Amino acid sequence: MSPPAIRSQRSSPIADDGDALHFCSTCAFSEVCLSQGLDKSALNELHVLVEHVGPFHEGEHIFREGDEFTAIAAVRAGTVKTYVLDPSGQEQVLGFFLPGEVIGLNAIHQSRYPCNAVALDTVMLCRFSFPKMALLATRLPGLQAQLFKLLSLDIGKAALLAGDYSADERMAAFLVSLSRRYGQRGFSPTRLHLTMARTDMANYLRLASETISRVLRRFQKDGLVLVNRRELDIQDLPRLQELAKSVLRD
Amino acid sequence: MTVIPAFDAGLLRRYDRPGPRYNSYPNPAQFDAGFNGTAFRDAARLSNDDPIPRNLSLYVHVPYCFHPCFACGGNQELTGNRTRADAYLARLVREVAMVAPLFDCDRDVTQLHLGGGSPNFLNAGQLGELMESLHRHFHFAGAVNRDLSIEVDPRCVDQSDIEALAFMGFNRVSLRVQDFDPGVPVADDRMHPVKHTLGIIEACRKNGFRSIDVNLIYGFPGQSRQAFGRTLESLIRTRPDRLAVYNYADLPQLFSPQKPGLATELPSAESRIALLQLAFERLLVAGYRYIGMDHFALPGDEIALAQEHGSLQRNFLGYTGQAESDLIGLGVSAISHIGDTFCENPRNLPAWESAIDSGRLPVCGGLQLNADDLLRADLIQQLICRGVIDIPTLEQRHDIHFLAYFHEDLLRMCDLAIDGLVETSETQIQVTSRGRLLLRIIAECFDRYLHQPRAEPARLTSAI
Repeated sequence: MSPPAIRSQRSSPIADDGDALHFCSTCAFSEVCLSQGLDKSALNELHVLVEHVGPFHEGEHIFREGDEFTAIAAVRAGTVKTYVLDPSGQEQVLGFFLPGEVIGLNAIHQSRYPCNAVALDTVMLCRFSFPKMALLATRLPGLQAQLFKLLSLDIGKAALLAGDYSADERMAAFLVSLSRRYGQRGFSPTRLHLTMARTDMANYLRLASETISRVLRRFQKDGLVLVNRRELDIQDLPRLQELAKSVLRD
Repeated sequence: MTVIPAFDAGLLRRYDRPGPRYNSYPNPAQFDAGFNGTAFRDAARLSNDDPIPRNLSLYVHVPYCFHPCFACGGNQELTGNRTRADAYLARLVREVAMVAPLFDCDRDVTQLHLGGGSPNFLNAGQLGELMESLHRHFHFAGAVNRDLSIEVDPRCVDQSDIEALAFMGFNRVSLRVQDFDPGVPVADDRMHPVKHTLGIIEACRKNGFRSIDVNLIYGFPGQSRQAFGRTLESLIRTRPDRLAVYNYADLPQLFSPQKPGLATELPSAESRIALLQLAFERLLVAGYRYIGMDHFALPGDEIALAQEHGSLQRNFLGYTGQAESDLIGLGVSAISHIGDTFCENPRNLPAWESAIDSGRLPVCGGLQLNADDLLRADLIQQLICRGVIDIPTLEQRHDIHFLAYFHEDLLRMCDLAIDGLVETSETQIQVTSRGRLLLRIIAECFDRYLHQPRAEPARLTSAI
């Protein structure tokens, strides 16, 4: 007899799956829709196309720069990386999207996606047809407000790391941000699985790969974190938050 | 933490049966022949992607020997022709140049081991060239933080060779010693003159080697207790830092120099266990700590300290006090363990040579560990290094319910519990003093592959 399957991998948090009638637990829109008295069946009646897509496997592209923009998508499971290639062909990482977060928002003002989106592990998405959603937003002020909120979050995230911060501050801000975002979606805020490669982290934080490891080793020595391969346990969140304060401005 | 083992000959006799040595889990017998260089490259890339990539350990295999070593368990080729060493070295250097760039340059080499065969089949100049190539392609940790070790056949070196090794940066030496006593093993035609071997140990000390490991082989045809006792006494007087006592492995189908048919002349299980008991008692009386499996160490030694601190590790190079690292194997038959992947080079020399000559990574087998393998490897590592299975830790780390997951394994362990080898509670399985010498037997209960028809018992060595 083969042994019972290992129940789930702590490494890949997945949202409670929604169905025809229920929203996924991480859904970026469920709250506003429900507060407007719209459950999922009501959305269906309004012909808002909500479509579960995936799985996308590690390295698979979800969209590429220049693809026609038709939909935004919420991540249900896994991590998505967005990036552009600079004129010399070098990759520039724009961001990482965790379960419950929405990709494609930066395409709204054009009719094409301005960046590439790639799965870092096994990714499941929930895709919303954007024209339909925009139309619905005109009728639901709450949904419109939620869209604006998501947009401003997206812009804010990109601007944060542009300042003149030390490597320690950048790394702390990155970890605190991941911790908050996982925490908000009901996952552990202190036990993080880092799905992004060291080079991706380095690229995103504008640091060298070796610096990423050097800073994490120092954090580990100081009792801030404990790193075991891709697993990172935050041991002293208050001190990390203190370090991240200037970057996160709160 | 450290439980002093109890020696019970009757108990050992009862459990005297072939079993894996758990330098790795799964055992190399489970490797899949479909593995190739792509798997190696992927494993290397993934390991570079960790937020804090592990340090590197290197193993370099030199298959040649001058003499057919009676007790050799390694992959080896007998030859007196040193020009073959030049050809082998040239290919090794090419392999180093192919493999090293796959690993990020901020990953320090903290461990290097040259094994064989007899690495000192390469002369000082050739070894120097090998070291120079390794230093050119890899980044080594500072001298204090690295273990550079070499297996030495004491019959084939003199004092000046030892000096040359120290000059190249080697700081650990591993001496393979068969019985000193000229009166004993009839089947072995080359004796170690006692004086010469002791002189080599002395030379290692004089040249500042940080650690001297002795691998002592017992269980030869006709080996007597008295003679073995004398060998032990002479060795213990030199205070090697680590001492391993290995049972002469009777596997002529794998190790060609061992003569078929010898099995009938080998000591009985009773005499074999009596020899082990002798070694065991003498070493403990002399102040050595029992580490586990076949290994003993002086109390101040790194592995004895690591055992006290619960940070002991076991890998293909044996027990180590170094933090977990990725192991890169170079040369014929060498095995790499990178992240969750094992890769194996060809065991046969022409296959390895032709891969190198055509510029391919010579990987020809391996295994990608699945979640079950990783869980069991973790459990067996705890058992063999710390003598305890910590149930909540395993449950949390691997997201399982221990009792449900290991239901069948625990049933297999019942007899061992009745024999008093382990004590179980809700939170842990603790190896008792009676069980300390039978770690392999306890680990076997949790080895999924042993309880499947795929396992190949022919490649295993006796449990004691």
